[in-house]
Amino acid sequence: MSMLEVQNIHTYYDNIHALKGISLNVNEGEIVTLIGANGAGKSTTLKTISGLTKPREGAVRLHGNPLHTLPAHKIVEQGIIMVPEGRRVFGVLTVSENLEMGAFARNDKQAIAQDLEKVYSLFPRLKERRNQLAGTLSGGEQQMLATGRGLMGRPRVLLLDEPSMGLAPVLVDLIFDTIQQLHKQGTTILLVEQNARMALQVADRGYVLQSGEIVLSDSAENLRANESVQKAYLGIS
Amino acid sequence: MEKYRTAITIGLVGAAITLLFGGWSMILVGTVVGAITGLNYGQHSAKRGALDKAREVLLPALIGNIIMGLGGTLYTFVVVPLTGKSLNYDQPLKLGTGRVPLDSIAVFIIGLAAGIAIGVAVAALIAYLQGLPENVRRVAFIASLIVFLFGLPFFDQVTGLDWIAAIITIQIFILLALGLNIVVGYAGLLDLGYAAFFAIGAYTTGLLSSPQIDIYWNFWLVIWVAAAMAAFAGLVLGAPTLPLRGDYLAIVTLGFGEIIPVVFRNLISVKLVEPFTRICFVGCDPKVDVVRWCIYACQGALDLTAGEKGINPIGRPMIPFTDELLFSSRSYLPWYFLVFGLIVLSIFFIRRLRNSRIGRAWMAIREDELAASQMGIDPVKTKLLAFSMGATFSGFAGAFYGSYISAIFPSVFDFSVSVIILCMVILGGLGNMVGVIIGGILIMGTDRLFLPQIATLLKDFMRHSVLGNVSNPVLKDFLEISVDPNQMRLAIFGLVLVIMMVVRPEGLVPSEERRAELHEGEEEHGDAATEAAA
Ligand SMILES: Nc1ncnc2c1ncn2[C@@H]1O[C@H](COP(=O)(O)OP(=O)(O)OP(=O)(O)O)[C@@H](O)[C@H]1O
Ligand SMILES: [Mg+2]
Repeated sequence: MSMLEVQNIHTYYDNIHALKGISLNVNEGEIVTLIGANGAGKSTTLKTISGLTKPREGAVRLHGNPLHTLPAHKIVEQGIIMVPEGRRVFGVLTVSENLEMGAFARNDKQAIAQDLEKVYSLFPRLKERRNQLAGTLSGGEQQMLATGRGLMGRPRVLLLDEPSMGLAPVLVDLIFDTIQQLHKQGTTILLVEQNARMALQVADRGYVLQSGEIVLSDSAENLRANESVQKAYLGIS
Repeated sequence: MEKYRTAITIGLVGAAITLLFGGWSMILVGTVVGAITGLNYGQHSAKRGALDKAREVLLPALIGNIIMGLGGTLYTFVVVPLTGKSLNYDQPLKLGTGRVPLDSIAVFIIGLAAGIAIGVAVAALIAYLQGLPENVRRVAFIASLIVFLFGLPFFDQVTGLDWIAAIITIQIFILLALGLNIVVGYAGLLDLGYAAFFAIGAYTTGLLSSPQIDIYWNFWLVIWVAAAMAAFAGLVLGAPTLPLRGDYLAIVTLGFGEIIPVVFRNLISVKLVEPFTRICFVGCDPKVDVVRWCIYACQGALDLTAGEKGINPIGRPMIPFTDELLFSSRSYLPWYFLVFGLIVLSIFFIRRLRNSRIGRAWMAIREDELAASQMGIDPVKTKLLAFSMGATFSGFAGAFYGSYISAIFPSVFDFSVSVIILCMVILGGLGNMVGVIIGGILIMGTDRLFLPQIATLLKDFMRHSVLGNVSNPVLKDFLEISVDPNQMRLAIFGLVLVIMMVVRPEGLVPSEERRAELHEGEEEHGDAATEAAA
């Protein structure tokens, strides 16, 4: 059985039918990527898993236990942590305070301190700027902070929504390196990316989303080789 | 000139006050002008040594205080004659039961000299303290504040300034504003019906310690019950409404604020009867008397609140081994210190709250609810807690108020009270306790001290210098009755609020977070300076 199972979910924004029966699963230790055009429903899928939007039909399960019946903060306690699209760091808090907020649901002080060091060694830039207000960080630094803050929650499943958005190529590489490192440490990751090329390089498997439906699912290798994927998302004609 | 601008501004504000009160007020205002000048110049001074800072503030403080003194001078030689008093009337000192005869000219000279001297000394002292290491400075600041606050009522009594009643009211409202600041400033929830919780605290006190339903509990117990009732009311109101966002929440709280006084106005005939089952036990004739389960007030309906007449008299606090009449309506001092204690206690608790987990959760919710929920914060629970914690402090204030005034009426707790408290929080600076206290002093000070004084002076002035020369009876009537600043208070507050929103939306003393956001560079510079001094 897969670790995280999404079963035929339908999510609506009022009367906009955003997800039309999405099913996917993520196995323990895997990196799975969701690719698709703008407005395909990638973010909505992640939001539905993390409880920010509720599916009208269908189910989300973690190790067989239903998640879709829980409120968002309870889902976080289950170890499912999303790094939302657009960073959303707490601008009036410092970098280190933001990271501490990431561990809000935990109370194992020592382990938190260890994880803080880990995040700092992952992103030395954050350590340099730990007393700076998050709102004054550059976009890329904010993205690192948002990712680091997600890690502070000790995710069992990390949901990353466009972690490379708006970053310079060097930083994109850094983010993807980080994803691979986390993968090696055993974190399960569901990755949403516009940068399908990079995503398919780090991922084990992938799903292709089109207007709220999954049109293709395969191993990352096969998806890279798939002609229609190449045309639509990899810019190869 | 640039260098003295702040001092001159502060001096002018001081002068506006001494212009109204003259004489002894110059000492009080001089002290405050000195303290603010000292704070301001000490902070922005480029010098790092404590003595250098003190030396640097001397001249600005002198200028500011001389301007302050000009206000008092104008009062003595222009305002007083215009209102028809003789230039030197009796203004004796009150020392216990004795009186030291003094006339107003002597009071003016003493007030002016002492006001300027003390003002400059205080400014130097405060500037000096700013040059000391952080921990010493902290203790010294708090110590000087305590000396000032302890001395204030005695000074007030001896000189016959008679501000104490107004000051106690200001304190009550500060307590309320501190509570509302939790809701609006920390958690970012707009509450337009905060006076309702104040009313619940006061009415709980009224019910539990008055002849109304013959319960006379001890004040020290009642005050906790009142706080608990207010907190409970916060939960009850919050539970269904807090999932609402922004505007909706404001509207619901507005409605709640309107409903509560109406409820208290109408709780004059209360009887609780269990309405569903009509059970008859053995022995009664079901055809004749239908036995109903009576739950409460079986002997006859109870009058809980006496409607518009209000509950009166309400019990007063007593302290073991002291005079039973220590807290009476004649002596203000015990009340002053009691509410002072309540404020200190509240500040202590609120600070702890703010720096705790829950305080951080409030901040996160206010900043970004979605991101907060991704940190594992329960938005509803967190807001509910803010709502009921805020209500708790208004429960304290309500209990104190009921006992202090000894009579409560539903009309005291109307919408304007909620708005005034909200004004204090916004004027002072959302989320900053120092700002909120300053906002409270400014708004309630204007309301209870300055406007009434302006009104009195204006009335005397009209009667003495104007009305005699006006022949048109309609104009005369208008001048005599309608020119009353007291009646314009709400308009004045509204105006102040609008101006504030345009000129300085973050409030007079913005919270650290906002200030940090606005003046990042300066802040670092300041820290470096204090470190170097240490
Ligand atoms: N809060 C909302 N209210 C109404 N409609 C929404 C809302 N959020 C998303 N939608 C709609 O739902 C659909 C899916 O949006 P979603 O954000 O999931 O797309 P996405 O795949 O993440 O796109 P992108 O790559 O641009 O981030 C879109 O048509 C969008 O307009
Ligand atoms: Mg998206």
